[in-house]
Amino acid sequence: MQRSAQASADSKSAGEPAAASDPNRQRRRERLLQIGTLVLLLAVWEFAARDANKLLVAVPSDIAIATWELLLNGELLSATLDSMSTFVLGFVIASVIGIVVGFAMGTNRTVEVILDPYINALYAMPLVALIPILMLWVGIGFLAKITIIILFAVFPVIINTVTGVKNVDRHYLDIGKAFMASRFMVYRRIIAPYALPYVASGLRIALGRGIIAMIVAEFLTSISGLGGLIINYTNAFETAKAFAPVLVVALLANALTVLVQKVEERFGRWRRR
Amino acid sequence: MPKLSVRNLTKRFPVSGGPSMTALDGVDLDVEEGEFIAFVGPSGCGKTTLLRIIQGLETATSGEIRIDGKPVTGPGHDRGFVFQQYGLLPWLTAAQNIGFALEAKGIPAARHGETTERVLATVGLKGFGDRFPHQLSGGMQQRVGIARALAIEPEIMLLDEPFGALDALTREILQNEMLGLTERMGKTILFVTHSVDEAVCLADRVVVMSPRPGRIREIVPIDIPRPRASLGEALRDTPEYVAKRHQLWTQLMDLV
Repeated sequence: MQRSAQASADSKSAGEPAAASDPNRQRRRERLLQIGTLVLLLAVWEFAARDANKLLVAVPSDIAIATWELLLNGELLSATLDSMSTFVLGFVIASVIGIVVGFAMGTNRTVEVILDPYINALYAMPLVALIPILMLWVGIGFLAKITIIILFAVFPVIINTVTGVKNVDRHYLDIGKAFMASRFMVYRRIIAPYALPYVASGLRIALGRGIIAMIVAEFLTSISGLGGLIINYTNAFETAKAFAPVLVVALLANALTVLVQKVEERFGRWRRR
Repeated sequence: MPKLSVRNLTKRFPVSGGPSMTALDGVDLDVEEGEFIAFVGPSGCGKTTLLRIIQGLETATSGEIRIDGKPVTGPGHDRGFVFQQYGLLPWLTAAQNIGFALEAKGIPAARHGETTERVLATVGLKGFGDRFPHQLSGGMQQRVGIARALAIEPEIMLLDEPFGALDALTREILQNEMLGLTERMGKTILFVTHSVDEAVCLADRVVVMSPRPGRIREIVPIDIPRPRASLGEALRDTPEYVAKRHQLWTQLMDLV
């Protein structure tokens, strides 16, 4: 784990000629520069907003205190668990549907011709417009949240999977043909590994859209989870407390993106670094 | 009865908005069991297309291919193919690439390890089974490709410019190894190359093909006695070698 982080940092700084002499020192300087900028930003925010209306603007120190309070009383944790359990379930379902449908479309021209217009149209349209109608059909509870997350997340997975499957290099398919591999073997050993990087980038897009969907669903439907906290504390003009769930959402989104990247790297070991 | 017989084989490719392109035109060829046949000719002469049709990777427009008298209609485990480039699946290790062919042939996974080790040793890659293709040199990757074809124990091996993308030195080393390997095993081999040296060095007969449309122009027997592998570098200095090489060069020059 540590070694791979080291390796990726190496490859990042290798692109810069200045780093060639002493990459470690260069890296420390860059890290310092980033942390310094963050501290400066927070300080400016703290002092500039000190005299502003507390109902409208929260300062970093207030947010830190509010976050700590919400952590202690368990409110933040239970909201996070509520949001995440729904999100993870929705994301997993969207991934499975996306990969299966994408594979079917990529390998079967008839399926592609039938589904392609709808997939593209739904991917391009602002799906938020559908939410009120969805609420009529599936209510405002757990089912509504899941449906909205799936709806937002599934299309990039489908589209990227189709692209990956259809792009498979003819040379690799020839190997399967020459050695008489079964259809299942061709899917498993040739098409799936080839399409994996495409699928992974689809999953990364789906992750971002899924998080948006989760928050939007919590704003508009059940008013629960992290989105519910944001809405409730903003409505109560407790701005500092409204920032705490925002922070959590930001951290979670980034952590999940890193997780997907790690999974992708794990399956992409065969690629040249 | 010949091991392989090709009768009146024709292949036309459709060309959009024009007359079709004839890649092969009435090709006839008989190959005896254990024979090493090399195909040479300028690009566009259809030598690779012919090999791909025999393997079943492409279908002929008309004509017939028989192995041991039985018509061939598609790919089969009786033929082992070695590709020029991109012949290995980059996400599988050397051993897994060989295992792929074994699995495709329906050999139970429990027996893959033993076969894989044996064929890797045959091509001089003992202990390299767990390397991914990008961790191997071009020459080593081609050896894995040859090992994979050997693993399914085919009756005929088909090699499509297997050394075409290698540097001159690696190429010559692999040619010598190929010579030793084929003389030990006595398999029927069809070998496409654009190198006259390679053809003379390895083959019993060299099939010279001409382009547009692809036809067999001449079949030149190479009567250098076997085993040639023991001669090593001296093979290329023998009068027979020099004479055949010259003869083939002259014929090819006329075609270009």
